[in-house]
Amino acid sequence: MEKNRKIIVFILVVALSFLLPSFVKNYYWLGIFNLILMYSILCLSLNLIFGFTNLLSVGHAAFYGIGAYTTAILLTRYHFPFLPSLLLSGLIALFIGFLLSITTSRVRGDYFTVITIVFGEIFRLIMQNWVKFSGGAVGIVGLPAPQLFSWRIISEKDFYFLGLVLFWFTYLTLSLLVKSKFGRAFIAIREDELAASTMGINVVMYKILSFSIGCFYAGLAGSYYAVYNTAIAPSSFTLDESCLMIIMVVLGGIGNLTATISGVIVMLVATEVFRPLYHYRLLLIGLIMVIVLVRYPYGILGIFNKIASMRKKYSYRKV
Amino acid sequence: MFIEILIVGLSLGAIYALIAIGYSMVYGILKLMNFAHGDTYAFGSFICWMLLTKYDLNPILSIIIAMIVGGVIASIVEILAYRPLRAPEYRNISMISALGVAYIIQNTSENFWSRQVHSFPSIISAPFVSILGIQIPTTQYLTLGIVIVVVGGLNLFLKYHKVGKAILCASQDIPASSLMGIPINRTISIVYLLGGMIGVIGGVLYASSYNVLSISMGFSGTIVAFEASVFGGIGSINGALVGALILGLLHSLVGFYISTAYRDVITFAVLIIVLLVRPKGILGRYVEEKV
Repeated sequence: MEKNRKIIVFILVVALSFLLPSFVKNYYWLGIFNLILMYSILCLSLNLIFGFTNLLSVGHAAFYGIGAYTTAILLTRYHFPFLPSLLLSGLIALFIGFLLSITTSRVRGDYFTVITIVFGEIFRLIMQNWVKFSGGAVGIVGLPAPQLFSWRIISEKDFYFLGLVLFWFTYLTLSLLVKSKFGRAFIAIREDELAASTMGINVVMYKILSFSIGCFYAGLAGSYYAVYNTAIAPSSFTLDESCLMIIMVVLGGIGNLTATISGVIVMLVATEVFRPLYHYRLLLIGLIMVIVLVRYPYGILGIFNKIASMRKKYSYRKV
Repeated sequence: MFIEILIVGLSLGAIYALIAIGYSMVYGILKLMNFAHGDTYAFGSFICWMLLTKYDLNPILSIIIAMIVGGVIASIVEILAYRPLRAPEYRNISMISALGVAYIIQNTSENFWSRQVHSFPSIISAPFVSILGIQIPTTQYLTLGIVIVVVGGLNLFLKYHKVGKAILCASQDIPASSLMGIPINRTISIVYLLGGMIGVIGGVLYASSYNVLSISMGFSGTIVAFEASVFGGIGSINGALVGALILGLLHSLVGFYISTAYRDVITFAVLIIVLLVRPKGILGRYVEEKV
């Protein structure tokens, strides 16, 4: 019964999300929705790496950048169709993530975090300086509008649908993954690495798996960003960007996929709402982060849980 | 030429060391990556700059005031944003609230002093000194001297003073040392105070030897401190010193002999290789994991 209800709610939410553009005609808000979808893909995959497997990666923007550069180069220089470049972007990000995690499998905890930070910076600096390959600081401009079979994706609304498809693909596959045997292994590693290894879980293998899968989705998001923005530059893939993703994951709630989306929405909407207060924007965002986290260490998820438990108390009293 | 570059690199490394030590001390005691460290010392350096240029204060006096401001800010931040999240299960979360604090400090100093690069006056009047035919700016020697005094003093303080011993105890085991009667909250505040103060010295020295001061110094300082302490082995003060000196040397040697554009790429690559060979840094201790 409970499960049936969940499935019905899920189908309703999916249907609503596809109907949304018929209610919201404003291009400004559609643009924000597109950003929310893209960051959701990035943060869901980062939550798999950080929230479920406890590998704090502060270099996620690099994999996002790898996806973006792959698509940009394939589309502008080799005139690839969009679908194969999207897939290749994901796969190349996965492959590089695999190489990085396999070489650093000995390195643990904060030292791993350092390596991801450094990797992100190396990626950005190489893209900035290797002018022949990546266009240097200017980047690559003039990406053609992507075409999926006969669907030419050009307007804000088209991109919304493309983003939505990618987003639901990410959300569904990741929810299935974290509920499977793999997901339980990831959680075991997060809770206690040593205990997990004594229970016969191959810690190194599962860490590599989690990291590479997460990078795959980051590559997809990068590909989406490249065609949506029609131009990419190294300044979009900085350390600040990686930090922003981590903030969104933590603000939503570590280790919960649905909560991650709320973190993304809060951060992006706060950025938009505070835009008129340009000079104090970062200050206000920082204040929100500190106050929410000090009060509710498990983020927005923690607030929801608190409300839920309060409601429960109230209903008990009624009985 | 080589010796000049060597000395410039060493003094650059010495400045990095001052920034990294505060960072590494906090890490040693709380296992917290303090993302706000860089912005705190940048704030302190801006205070010093303001006192020097606007109020024409004596350099030594203004450095001391700036140090106190930096230290006090660091410990206030600790009380408001990190103390509630000190439990081990909130470790990753306190790092993000540190990032939030970094945003707040950065934005505040941006509103006070704008984002542009300011020129910082040189504190010392004699610009160059020549020893054995090698021309070296005086600031470089002064920097090296200050670093030796600070690091030596800090080591003595930790070894012989009561508070220093308490800091060492707390960095080994917080619950056990609180059972032994060490006031944990006060000790941690002192660590932040010291870290902030030493960081401000580093910031002021950096600004006065390169005559520039900007807000972006804060975040890049955090990264430099992070790299240096990882090079040496996070949590140990002497490790941070060694790591910072190596980093400074690498920066100046690679920048001069190979390429300035790829300077950071090459240092980062060296850092990764060091970590692959010695996953706990150069002076890092290997601690057996207890169950």
